[in-house]
Amino acid sequence: MTRIALTSAWVRKRRLVGACLAVFLGVSFLSGTLVLGQTLQRNFDSLFADANAGTDAVVRSATKIDTRMDFQRGPIDTATVARVRAVDGVASVAPYVEGYGQLLDKHGDGIGGSGPPRVAASWIADPRLNAYRLVQGRAPHAAGEVVVNRGAAKSGKLALGDTTVLETPRPTRVKIVGIATFGSADGFGETTYTAFDLPAAQRLVLGATDRVSSIRVKAAAGVTQDELAARLNRVLPTGVQAITGTQLTKENNDDINGQFLGSLRAFLLVFAGIALLVGAFSIYNTLSILAAQRTRESALLRALGASRTQLLGALLAESLLVGLVASVAGLFGGVAIAELLKALFDAFGGGLPAGGLAFTPGIAIIAIVVGTLVTAVAGVAPARKASRVPPIAALRDVATEATTTSRRRRLLGGGLAAVGVLAVLLAALTQGGGAVTIAAVGAVLTLAGMIVCGPLAARPASTVLGAPLPRLSGMAGTLARDNARRNPRRTAATAAALMVGVGVVSLFTVFAGSLKASIQDSVGRSFAGDLAITTPGWGGGALDPQVAARVGALPQVAAAVGLGEGAARVGGSSRRLTIADPAQLARVVDLGVRAGAIGQLGDRQLALSEKLARAHGWHLGSRLPVGFADRTTSPFTVAALYDNDRIAGDVLVSRGAWAPHAVQDLDSVVFVRVAGGVATRAAETAVRGITRGAGNPDVKTRQQYVASSAGGINALLGIVYVLLLLAIVIALMGIANTLALSIHERTRELGLLRAVGATRRQLRSMIRGESLVIAVFGTVGGVALGVFLGWGLVRAAADSAQTDVFTAPIGQLAGVLVVGAVVGVLASLRPARRAARLDVLRAIAAE
Amino acid sequence: MAPDRVSAMSYELSDGARQRRSPNTNIAASAHDAVKVYGAGENAVRALDGVTVDFEQGRFTAIMGPSGSGKSTLMQCVAGLDQLTSGRVLVGERDLSELSDRALTLLRRDEIGFVFQSFNLLPTLSAAENITLPLALAGRRPDGAWLDQVVTTLGLADRLSHRPTELSGGQQQRVAVARALVARPQLMFADEPTGNLDSRAGGEILAFLRRAVRELDQTVVMVTHDPLAASYADRVLFLADGRLVDELSDPEPERILDRLKTLTEGVAP
Ligand SMILES: Nc1ncnc2c1ncn2[C@@H]1O[C@H](COP(=O)(O)OP(=O)(O)OP(=O)(O)O)[C@@H](O)[C@H]1O
Ligand SMILES: [Mg+2]
Repeated sequence: MTRIALTSAWVRKRRLVGACLAVFLGVSFLSGTLVLGQTLQRNFDSLFADANAGTDAVVRSATKIDTRMDFQRGPIDTATVARVRAVDGVASVAPYVEGYGQLLDKHGDGIGGSGPPRVAASWIADPRLNAYRLVQGRAPHAAGEVVVNRGAAKSGKLALGDTTVLETPRPTRVKIVGIATFGSADGFGETTYTAFDLPAAQRLVLGATDRVSSIRVKAAAGVTQDELAARLNRVLPTGVQAITGTQLTKENNDDINGQFLGSLRAFLLVFAGIALLVGAFSIYNTLSILAAQRTRESALLRALGASRTQLLGALLAESLLVGLVASVAGLFGGVAIAELLKALFDAFGGGLPAGGLAFTPGIAIIAIVVGTLVTAVAGVAPARKASRVPPIAALRDVATEATTTSRRRRLLGGGLAAVGVLAVLLAALTQGGGAVTIAAVGAVLTLAGMIVCGPLAARPASTVLGAPLPRLSGMAGTLARDNARRNPRRTAATAAALMVGVGVVSLFTVFAGSLKASIQDSVGRSFAGDLAITTPGWGGGALDPQVAARVGALPQVAAAVGLGEGAARVGGSSRRLTIADPAQLARVVDLGVRAGAIGQLGDRQLALSEKLARAHGWHLGSRLPVGFADRTTSPFTVAALYDNDRIAGDVLVSRGAWAPHAVQDLDSVVFVRVAGGVATRAAETAVRGITRGAGNPDVKTRQQYVASSAGGINALLGIVYVLLLLAIVIALMGIANTLALSIHERTRELGLLRAVGATRRQLRSMIRGESLVIAVFGTVGGVALGVFLGWGLVRAAADSAQTDVFTAPIGQLAGVLVVGAVVGVLASLRPARRAARLDVLRAIAAE
Repeated sequence: MAPDRVSAMSYELSDGARQRRSPNTNIAASAHDAVKVYGAGENAVRALDGVTVDFEQGRFTAIMGPSGSGKSTLMQCVAGLDQLTSGRVLVGERDLSELSDRALTLLRRDEIGFVFQSFNLLPTLSAAENITLPLALAGRRPDGAWLDQVVTTLGLADRLSHRPTELSGGQQQRVAVARALVARPQLMFADEPTGNLDSRAGGEILAFLRRAVRELDQTVVMVTHDPLAASYADRVLFLADGRLVDELSDPEPERILDRLKTLTEGVAP
């Protein structure tokens, strides 16, 4: 029996190609995602393993302030070095300094992308403890001499003997006396690395000659890493710890996974899931149509004595086979997708480490199992329906799918949609904690309801959407409309694939648009300055606090305030701090102070966002313990509460409070207010005069700054669109495939039409019309769904993500509609051409 | 198109039809040395092997012959549904081999009507819509009075809103005949139009076809295996092995049967 099914699958292989393609693409994306994740992980793994290769133990501060974005660890006392050296079993000791240092190129512009770190460090003389190798020149011996990694030298066009500037963030002139590689690579990924001798690094990076960041230790022969770490820990002062090199590598890996790789993977897997869901509709459709076309064959088998179970088994075996074949093919497609994704992230400024793709058996198993299962599940319903065919159907003439819509479907679909919509409305109106979760659940239910109800809507929708067709293209239009109406289930399932893709696109468009508008709105309302000096990228860059001071001293400038970022444990948990001169800040930014006064923030005082204070029950005058990375903890008093956390974050402290605990004091942005009577242009020119010598950060006008304040969202949205394009392509192929199968099914009708005088052009326009109706049905449904759910999510997140402005970007949404219609036309091209080329007589004679 | 122009046009058409009613020897369609070969090499089948025949205007011709003798092939080639391997087919003055696909399509749409052996109707359309399909494709309106007459004569008046699946085999066949007639094509081809019908229903259709020939000066070519059906025609052509082997004018069922017998006897050994 199964053999019969497989034989018949083989005979029909061309018609199965469409289904295979959908699975293929979905699995390609899934395995591509997995391969990329695996590759990055492996590349980072080996980078860290190389970096720590000769290090048997590391001695460092035990205190770590860990916010979701990054973490900070304080330096340790230089005196510890002597203690470590004295421990029995220690072969070599290297005190090490590492921190932020932006290397500038010849033109005074920063080297390096916006993602990877820029490191200033101390050169370690013992090659066993240093992952960098000198390939040119020598190690730095005097202040002002540095070794740079080859990658940084290349991209900055710097050569041995050149002099340039390093900002730590204070600018220092440095002479390149050595070029180093990381192992044999140009660098540690895209990281730029500049190394001084130890005293210079201590002075420039740590600002103190009696501190080091960590101590690297090499064990003597016969002493294990664990043994070494244990011995070290016995002599170390409290607050300082020793861990093995192996532990360090594992920690590095966990950090990169937690911060970056983990979210990247989750992000990509979501899109793989969407692609598979859209693919599942295509599979369901193809198998439904094939099952319907095979009604007579199935009925004949039943009449000859095949049981229902046998038939069901045979059909399921067929979909399993399709799933398996396509999944295996998809695995190979995945390699291409992984390359593509990597290129995509590089194009958007990711700067991921290089190296060949990692392909593990685990990935192959996951991709094949998931792909095959999705196909099999999508094939269950069509197989069940086909197996219920009564034997008598063998004698009936025309084999078509049942077109009735059951009461059960109406109840189930209506119920799901109603509950979903109610949940979204509830979440949108209450906006409390958990509202986003409720809205998300509601969104899924609404989508499920719409999919179940699809066939009910298909007929009326086709009637409405197809209404202009008869007027536009006469009889061909009428036939197109009727064909779209004739099998609501097929039309709905085909459109659903597009609806899911378009729905997600619209949702992202609405949400991102609203988020952008909200950010710009609040930044625009609170930023009272005229100019802003910003560093590129996502937190990678930094400014010397001197820039703010020097700009502030310009006669054209009334006030300039630098905002820095820090981290500390506030009231028990790690939080990001915003550091600024409060008196100046109030002149440039309207923080919406609710209580207290920001202007006089003392060294033991802090200001909190209203939201954070409310969440923890803190109020004006509350005393909170604040613990810094240098292990000092002091009580701070809440001196002010403010509304605007978009610019100032949740916790604001004065520079005076932060500076004693900071390793490097950096500003991420400087706000400038132009003096009265001075043209902004003139002030801008003056400000540029100062910034040009300071790594050339961007100087933006108020409008430019407000517009760019949500710039990260555009980049993200760009990536999201590219990823969703795949879902749209799969949906497009689903429509093309359904049309092709429908046309195959209607070969005789097409032949008859041609015989009684339909021109090729009329046939083509008929098929295009049908495709358009289906595509527009799916697109309109998707846009409506996306806008509604987008509205729900925006409202639900108004509190937590501060999306207080809702906008539906009309232009973009109209664009989505146009794309939907274009998809319809594109999908019809091949089937229409095939239909028009049909040989009239052969078509009429076709079985 | 404005309604008054439509009706003016349809009157013109019926005037034209009336003028053609006078006795004439116009040739509506003809085949000259028609050869049709299916396949190639060893498997080649000569379905038509040098057939030369005229179909005169206003005559009802039946084509008979054993199964596989090339009847359907001849009809399809003359109707512009298929291309000859060699030889010529003329419809009116036009050589079909010189017409483009579009011109052929328009010729079929406007001047030729068909009834196929099976599968004649579009399942999505009602009987009425199926009947007017060629006109709709051409963007024309049917002549109401003529449509009524055709529909009534064929006994379809109370079945017009039904879909093909809701009609019996014979009713479906009659809808196909109505479609072939309603555009008033000069030429009408029917491949075993009464194959699925009982003798009474079949007789009605055949009588109607003959009336269309007599009163409207239409040219009808019909393939059939039934001598009784063939006896409604003005003449009968006999095909065997792709050749025209015999012809009868004003045939009666017994004479047709005789000829058929001699034919099959000649072929059988
Ligand atoms: N598409 C085709 N390919 C190959 N051979 C064909 C094709 N169509 C018809 N033939 C062959 O051509 C010959 C004539 O076929 P045709 O259909 O004209 O016969 P017919 O006289 O109409 O037969 P019947 O009375 O059974 O309908 C037959 O031998 C048939 O097998
Ligand atoms: Mg035949």
